Formats: sequence, structure tokens, C-alpha cells
Amino acid sequence: MIRFDSVSKRYPEGREALIDVSFNVEAGEMLFVTGHSGAGKTTLLRLIALIERPSRGTIKVHGRDLARVRHRGIPGLRRDIGMVFQDHRLLLDRSVADNVALPLVIAGMPREERDKRVRSALEKVGLAGRGKDAPAALSTGEQQRVGIARAIVARPALIIADEPTGNLDPQLSEEIMQLFVSLRQTGSTVLIASHDLALLKRMKQRVVVLDHGHLIDDVPASEVA
Amino acid sequence: MNTPASMANPIHRTRLAMWRRQHAWCLRDSLRQLARRPLGSALTIAVMGLALALPLAFLLLLVNVQHLATALGNSQSVNVFLKTDVTADGAAKLADSLRARADVAAVTLRTPQQGLAELAAIQGFGAAVQSLPDNPLPFALLVEPGTGTSRVQVESLVAAVRALPQVDLVQDNGAWRARLDALVGLGRTVAVILAVLLAAAAVLVIGNTVRLDIRSRANEIAVQQLVGASAAFVRRPYLYEGAWYGLAAGVVAVLLVLLLEAVLAAPVRDLVTSYAGRLHFGGLSWVTLVIALAIAVALGWLGAWIASSRQLARLRP
Repeated sequence: MIRFDSVSKRYPEGREALIDVSFNVEAGEMLFVTGHSGAGKTTLLRLIALIERPSRGTIKVHGRDLARVRHRGIPGLRRDIGMVFQDHRLLLDRSVADNVALPLVIAGMPREERDKRVRSALEKVGLAGRGKDAPAALSTGEQQRVGIARAIVARPALIIADEPTGNLDPQLSEEIMQLFVSLRQTGSTVLIASHDLALLKRMKQRVVVLDHGHLIDDVPASEVA
Repeated sequence: MNTPASMANPIHRTRLAMWRRQHAWCLRDSLRQLARRPLGSALTIAVMGLALALPLAFLLLLVNVQHLATALGNSQSVNVFLKTDVTADGAAKLADSLRARADVAAVTLRTPQQGLAELAAIQGFGAAVQSLPDNPLPFALLVEPGTGTSRVQVESLVAAVRALPQVDLVQDNGAWRARLDALVGLGRTVAVILAVLLAAAAVLVIGNTVRLDIRSRANEIAVQQLVGASAAFVRRPYLYEGAWYGLAAGVVAVLLVLLLEAVLAAPVRDLVTSYAGRLHFGGLSWVTLVIALAIAVALGWLGAWIASSRQLARLRP
């Protein structure tokens, strides 16, 4: 599903965010990327979403070499990826349902089908019946659930999440992570960047550890303790 | 009815339906954004509406000046007023001698009685004419230059007639008409320059409004880009927004010109009556108004296109 071969990323100001990183993620796998602040977790996710381009190395997603994706092809690639952000990135002047429906609107889906999918996504994240609410009327945890609903509504094969529990208390963090686990069980590949080691230990999934841009450890799920 | 091959293909039908739904959403979104800031939208529309109304008002003026020119006719005729001591016989002989010239097509002799009757027919002059103790008007000749006579040849004819001893005054209608045509031509040029300048101003006003709107919605644009919106999809609501501004401003401009026509209609009617109905006040045709609306929409779209091209290229998720 995802293949990193000797990938490096150097930003124009000279900072090396990733250095010679290689790893694979199989379809249907759940993978945590962890490390301290500035380790390169966010850069890794931005490379997968083609928000950034690597300075060296090859990245393949669904067998497709991202270096060959031209600028015009980026939106199509992103429509195949569900993205979840630490700060939710919700549109506060729109309803919860409108936020969740956005990827489907962009895909030009018929309204009836769109409404059905939005209801289904909101049910999956435990927000059934909250579609008409404004995001500001929801708690932080609920807002993050809306962000997850938006990421899964188009049923992408790959979901990437950047610190999805960064602003949440431990109990809510656990709930959100269980939500990702349930998504994985429906066949999606899930890649989550998180610095919360205690939480990762409890989730017992494969963990890739970054330090100053280097991949220093790749721990299989069976060895996470 | 035969269906084109491209439309018969289910994939193309689906793509067309998707494209239609995306446009419908962008159209609604652009209206929603305009409604979100009613005062700002109204001010932009008012400024652009006034800018578009000015050239339209100038066009209205030009149209009516052209009506005036048409009412005066295309003739290059020359009015020749003879001295008061010239008799009917002398006037007739002079008319015959002018008819003999190669550059003259026709000469009409008007007696002082005919002149007085014409003067009395003009509104407001009747009582004055009645009060005259005797007819002060001389014999007059209406000289029509030959067909195809150039302006220079007419001026030469006028000079020759003016030199005749029986002649008191020569009125060259062609010269007046030439001046009027030159003035209308100048007015038309001024109108075009004014229209171009004000159209540029309208494009800048819309462009600036859309630029500010894009900047204030940078977060929304970033989210759209992140969830897979194409550049065309992101840009579309702003293009619609520009077109809506243009349409609304066009309607304002048209309404202002119609109001101007209504306000001017009564005084111009009085003026027309005083000219014995030879003149009439005409408004702009509905075709002109529809074209003005279409141009306004195109200007709004253009302003939005320029602004969105520059601004969206700078935004990254």
C-alpha cells in the first residue's frame, strides 16, 4: 500500500526533516509513526499526501510512484486518502453535515447518495443526529470525530492522521484511537502520527520510531509492550 | 432525436452529471458568501453599478443627439435671404440664374408671406407675428446643391452666392451639420474612452473584493485542497461571485439609466413640442440594455478570474 525507499526531505531553509527513511505498510495494516516534536512525523504524512515532494528517494502509494504524479493529478490522489488533523480543520461557518459532505461534494456525488453516506459516517463516529449542529457547538472530542467522519465518508483505502488525539484528554484519546482500530477492521489502511507513547503501548499496533529525521526503530505489533 | 456519441457514453454522462452538480454547489456557495456580508456586497455592487451607469448615460445622450441630427436631415441645403428691397421679379430671376449653375440641383423660392406663415406655425411665435404691423421678412431661396457635391464645392457655391449684390445673408446648413457630425463623433470617442476606463475600474473593484474574500477564506481553501478539490473547483465559487457582482451592478446601472430617462422625459417632451414635433427623446433599446448586462457580468467574471488566478496560486495547504 505504502512504500518508502531511502526517502529524504530537506526544506528550502536547509532543515533535514527526513533522512534516508525506508519502510513498507501493507494494505489493511495499522501503523503508528512516533517520535519527539520535530522528528519528521508530520513531514512523512505530508509527503504521502503530496503536500511536499521528497528531495531524494521514492514513495509509492497503491503502487503508484508519487514522483510521477503531476500537479494536476494531486487532487485525484488526495481524494483516495482520508486525512485527519490535530486541529480538526473544520469549516466553522458550515454545519457538521456540510463539513463531512465536502469530499463528496468535490467528487460530484448525487445529493441523495451524499446524504446517506454522511449519515452513515456520522453514525460510525457516534455523532448520529448531530448533522445540523454547528461545529462550534461541539466539544473538542466531538469536533475531532467530525474530522474523522469527513476523512472516511468517501471510503478511502488509506487514512492518515496527524496527532489526532493531540488536544484530547486520555479517555477521549483512547476512544478516538478505538475508532481508528474499527476503521482498520473494515479494510482501510491507517497511518497515524502520534507522540503519545503510553497510548501507543495500549493500542498494540506496529510502531515506526523517528528521531531527528532518521527511522531508528520499526516495532511489530506483537512486540509492542 | 439522435444522441451525440459522446453523450451516449455512460461515462461521459456520469462525468457531465458530476460536473453539473459541482457547478450547482459552487453557484449556491457563491450566493451564500454574498449573503454573508450584505453591506459589503451592496457597496461593491453600488460602486460598480455607478461606474457602469455613467457610460450608459453618456450613450443615452449620444443617441438623442443623433436623433437631433437625423431630425435636421442630411441635406447640405443653403438658405439665401435676399435684401428687403429685392422684388418678387428680381428674386425669381436670381433663382433662375442659380438653377442654371452646374453645382445646383434645385432652387425653391419662398415669399415673405410663406416665411411669415411658417414662423406663425411655430409654437410661441403666433402672437408675436400677429402683433407685427407689416411683414418684415425678405424673399428667401432654398438652394439644394447637386447630388455628390463635395463639401469644398458647396463652400465655393456659398461664397459665390454671398458675393451677389441682391443677397443679404447666406445660411449654410451643411456646415452646421458637419460641425454636429464632428461633435457626435467626438462624443462617441469620449464615450468609448470613458466606457473602457470605467470598465477597468469595475474590474479592479470586483478583483479587489474577490482578493479580500479569498484571503479571508484561506483556511477553507486549504481544507478543500487537502480533501482533493481541483484548482478549478476551488476557483469556481469566486468566478461565480464575480459574475453575480457584475449582474447585480448591471441591473443597478440599467435601473439608473431607466430612471434618468423617466426624469428627462417630461422636460424633453416640452422642448420637443416647442420644436413643432421635429425632435423626439428616445431611450436606449432593450437590446442595448441586455448587452450592457452581459458586459457587466463578463467584467465581474474577468475581475474575479484575474484576482483568483493570482491569489489561489499563492495558497498551499
